[in-house]
Amino acid sequence: MDEADLRMDGNHVAGMLAEVFQFDMTVEWSGCAACGDRHQLGALQAYGHGMGAVLSCPSCGQTLLRVARGGGRWWLDLRGMAWLQLDEGARLPE
Amino acid sequence: MAGYVSRGFRRRRRADDDDAGRLPPGQYAEPGFPVLSAGPTPRVDLAEWRLRVEGLVARPREWTWEEVQALPRSTFEGDIHCVTKWSKLGTSFAGVSVDVLLDQTEPLPEATHVIAFCYGGYTTNLPLEDVRDGKAWVVWEHEGGPLPPEHGGPARLLVPHLYFWKSAKWLAGLRLIDHDQPGFWESLGYHNRGDPWREERYWGD
Amino acid sequence: MGRLSWRLARVAEIKPETPRVASLALDVPSWDGHQAGQHVDLRLTAEDGYQAERSYSIASAPDGQRVELTVERLDDGEVSPYLAGEVRQGDQLELRGPIGLYFVWQPGLGGPLLLVAGGSGVVPLMAMLRHRAASGSRVQTRLLYSSRTLEDVIYREELERLAVAGDGLTVTHTLTRAQPPGWQGYNRRIDAAMLKEVGWPPDERPLAYVCGPTRLVEAVADDLVALGHDPFRVKTERFGPTGVQ
Repeated sequence: MDEADLRMDGNHVAGMLAEVFQFDMTVEWSGCAACGDRHQLGALQAYGHGMGAVLSCPSCGQTLLRVARGGGRWWLDLRGMAWLQLDEGARLPE
Repeated sequence: MAGYVSRGFRRRRRADDDDAGRLPPGQYAEPGFPVLSAGPTPRVDLAEWRLRVEGLVARPREWTWEEVQALPRSTFEGDIHCVTKWSKLGTSFAGVSVDVLLDQTEPLPEATHVIAFCYGGYTTNLPLEDVRDGKAWVVWEHEGGPLPPEHGGPARLLVPHLYFWKSAKWLAGLRLIDHDQPGFWESLGYHNRGDPWREERYWGD
Repeated sequence: MGRLSWRLARVAEIKPETPRVASLALDVPSWDGHQAGQHVDLRLTAEDGYQAERSYSIASAPDGQRVELTVERLDDGEVSPYLAGEVRQGDQLELRGPIGLYFVWQPGLGGPLLLVAGGSGVVPLMAMLRHRAASGSRVQTRLLYSSRTLEDVIYREELERLAVAGDGLTVTHTLTRAQPPGWQGYNRRIDAAMLKEVGWPPDERPLAYVCGPTRLVEAVADDLVALGHDPFRVKTERFGPTGVQ
């Protein structure tokens, strides 16, 4: 198994992010605080498992988002994002 | 998080009856050894590999791979518990006891906690007393063979009495400090100590 | 209750696709439709309370009554042997979705389209092809599909039918492990040369969708960008190490 094998992408955490944001986050854009590049969350590289997920910038590799879930709570570390855009068109229906 | 029980769904292999007493609350016996990672597997050249013990110690030092292999060998046989609810019963690791490393570096009286820091950037925090007195190892063998990279090789920390995220993979060293400082998962909601028998999964538990 | 809450879907029909792959047609109450390329999450609970969650791409086109998933059974899998082996008509499964607007195509997005699949990565791309056919779209489309052997090709007959419909779809297979006697097609892993031969030149500005095992997806995406394609017109969905979500 090499380092690539366990790598996923933002699509993999779509369900978990939808629990928090009530938007389909895969299509939402974020700006990397490290390199400034913009990517949709579906395009971010992701490592994740039952403890949580780490999404990183495909341009520079810096962590954009860390998210964990457990015991009825979610924790979000968005320090790696300069900004996160939410688009009304991606809001999940009631 | 109760769910609809799907007819006929069961885990790959179920626990034996006598596992029940060995499982902390909320855990399931897992015969395999799942690989969970928060990032890419670091590639570490053994010639460059170092293990450091630093911070609030009288004699900070660093061991090369050869030097650490020459330390008194110690093995652990027993159970490990992952916060994601699987427990692997009756496994074994070999390496060196953290007590040996601390004996050589002499922790200062004001040292209360440890940060384990790793190749790849992972960190985890522990009370110093949880890595002393036979409770922790630095290991490079698992079940008789070299610890594979996906499971933390060349060497990882092993602290089996706490949830397994404390057994930091790709260990680069231990830093002794005088306060508790949350590591990678602890700064994202996980418990600072992580005792599976008290189900200390998340902060506030 | 939002669409993203868990609900019970009933297995209406099970259809074997290949020796290791089966499709499940699900009746999902209050299903409001989906876009081709999206996926659902399934959650299975055992009697002892143990839970496992997995994501599966929707294989069916948006216009269908039922939600169809296609599952490859992994030998050491925990969920796939259940879904593609144990599940029976009438069983109920907890499902959440659809989710994943990033990796979707509909005719309004235009083309030309380059669809690149490794193994079960063909599933979301099949939803796109089925949607394309059902909507009468003539967007020029090329599917490049990597499988181990001919027996492992999922949807083989349906892809043949779609490819001869004369509406601008070509299907190219590469069989990486074994080929039938007389096989004239590709017999190696997808590489830049193959992508250049099969795909569109960059000045056609195709929309590319790449899905399958992580290593294949990353190699193909890197190759496409190196060939001059716009990275923002190369969409990827990694299925992880074994090629199954």
